[in-house]
Amino acid sequence: MASPEPAASPEPGASPDPAPSRPASTRTGPGRLLVAVYALFALSASARAGVQIATKFSHAPVAYLLSAFAAVVYIVATVTLGVGSPTARRIALLSCSIELAGVLAVGTWSLADPATFPDATVWSSYGSGYGFVPLVLPVFGLLWLRYWARRSKTGGTIVASAEDTGEAAAGGAAHGAGGAPGHSAGSVG
Amino acid sequence: MSCVNGAVPTTIIVAGLALAGYALLMTALNRRMNVPLLAAVGVLEILLLVQVGIIVAKLAGGERPAGLATLIGYLIATPLVPLAAAFWGLMERSRWGPAVIAVAGLVAAVLMVRLHQIWPVIHV
Repeated sequence: MASPEPAASPEPGASPDPAPSRPASTRTGPGRLLVAVYALFALSASARAGVQIATKFSHAPVAYLLSAFAAVVYIVATVTLGVGSPTARRIALLSCSIELAGVLAVGTWSLADPATFPDATVWSSYGSGYGFVPLVLPVFGLLWLRYWARRSKTGGTIVASAEDTGEAAAGGAAHGAGGAPGHSAGSVG
Repeated sequence: MSCVNGAVPTTIIVAGLALAGYALLMTALNRRMNVPLLAAVGVLEILLLVQVGIIVAKLAGGERPAGLATLIGYLIATPLVPLAAAFWGLMERSRWGPAVIAVAGLVAAVLMVRLHQIWPVIHV
């Protein structure tokens, strides 16, 4: 199940076993964290929308339908980022774009017209009820997908190259909790 | 009206945040998943199971929250979070494995706050 590990020189002074130098698909490396957060939101948004629609739909039908739509978008993103094939990546790109547009649109709408959104939904107020993660998440998703689009264009998915290292560092520094350029550290020159 | 002692939820919040901090440190230091981190996840899991048990005992005693279906959903999902995170994180052989664990720690803390909102007898 684990992705095949490319030949990587051990990093001096870091973990005892050499980590893979480049992530093998959208679901490994930083993608592991991204898919985890997407899965969390897919579950949480689905549950919340499900309960809202099942128990008090007439209370705020527009808000709850948008909530359900958001849940579907999160599920699609989770699955496509998890699959990682080029087709899945294209779908993920569409999904994350819709997600970003959605959180901005619904966020603005919920602030301009609070009466339509009496209860908090995932995208209300730009996801403030969820620590603004819904606002930031699609940005990271799109950055991650852009890294993969560039990588497949240079054709360097298997063989590590110097240019890819530069791109990987640029893409890697933009997302993830670590902040330090994780990709380039272990790459074979 | 008896209240669930606030010690367990508070402990879980502290443990979850500590786990998240430790895991994020490992990510920053480029460390992979290791046994001590997994042990910490195990401790969090045990704490969560204790909390679920306490709540189930209260329900068995006849008390009910306003949103029972929601509460039951949380009771089922809560113990699954550290397990799912451990599996998913273990599959990753880089620094991003611990990052997944950090998410689980944060989620555990948030779940305790949400449980209190769902059923205020669960004190934090």
